[in-house]
Amino acid sequence: MGFIKLVVFGFIGLSIIYVSIAVYSKSVRRERLEDEFDANPPEGADAAARDTYIAEGMAAYHRSLRPKLIGLVYVVPLIVVSVIVYVINTN
Amino acid sequence: MHRLKVTVRVLALLVFGAFFHYVLPQHDVVKITSTEVIRTDFSAYNRIFYAQADSGGVDQPTRDLRLINTDKKKTFLLGFVPRDSTGVMVYRNEDTGWIWPPYFKFDSSDLQAEAARIAKGDEWAVITHYGWRIRWASIYPNAIGVRTVASPDVTIIPWVSIVFFGFLMVALAFIRAMWRQFRERTVDPLLESAGERVDEVQAGVAKRKGRLSRWLATWRGKDKPSQK
Repeated sequence: MGFIKLVVFGFIGLSIIYVSIAVYSKSVRRERLEDEFDANPPEGADAAARDTYIAEGMAAYHRSLRPKLIGLVYVVPLIVVSVIVYVINTN
Repeated sequence: MHRLKVTVRVLALLVFGAFFHYVLPQHDVVKITSTEVIRTDFSAYNRIFYAQADSGGVDQPTRDLRLINTDKKKTFLLGFVPRDSTGVMVYRNEDTGWIWPPYFKFDSSDLQAEAARIAKGDEWAVITHYGWRIRWASIYPNAIGVRTVASPDVTIIPWVSIVFFGFLMVALAFIRAMWRQFRERTVDPLLESAGERVDEVQAGVAKRKGRLSRWLATWRGKDKPSQK
């Protein structure tokens, strides 16, 4: 059954893309937090303060809208496929 | 080495170019002359150029194939430069189904009916299709849509290809950015720590070797090599 194949393998493929983008996005955010802290460290800051700052920043990131937007990786192809099916098969 | 690199790049460009030229939709200005159904016996080498059995049907080694016979306006340069002359062109009309290529076409019968209706008149039509006509292997391009046009001098903008290549560029740039980030944050630190460990080991080996060779040197004669 072609449809089941499409759904199963499509889901696997999109999941790989989703995980890659999620990891990339997190990595970029962490790097930015590190750079922010290093560019302007508060007085008497030690490594523990730096770790706290980054952990807080990452927690804020996880609460924000951005990681949820990565879920569009699943939504957009679904919409595109639906539109193609509709456009191709209507006269 | 440089020549090898260039060769590999040109080959990759050719392969991808041919692939996209086969799969992406193209538009032909045609006069449909007739429609027909022929029985087709696939061979091992032309099987992959045909779709699977109609959506919902069973795949058999032999089946009927819908064809659309046309008189097509010839073009130069992949259809960018129109010409006045015409030549025959035959399209197959098959469901692509859910998998490949992703046109999700299930309306072959309707398309055939539409082509038959257009064939009754003397109208010009634009056929959207993908694929190639390869005569020695009996391979036909697959028609995916047809619409009538007032005159054969229509301007067709290939929106699907424009959007697709735009998306491809963005996707490649994104993958490159992801790869660089991965290398900078994950691979390089790993390599660095591994490199440091190798350095330590090498330093240790050098020290021991130094001790050994100094000891060996004490057994040599007066012409022992000068120690650095």
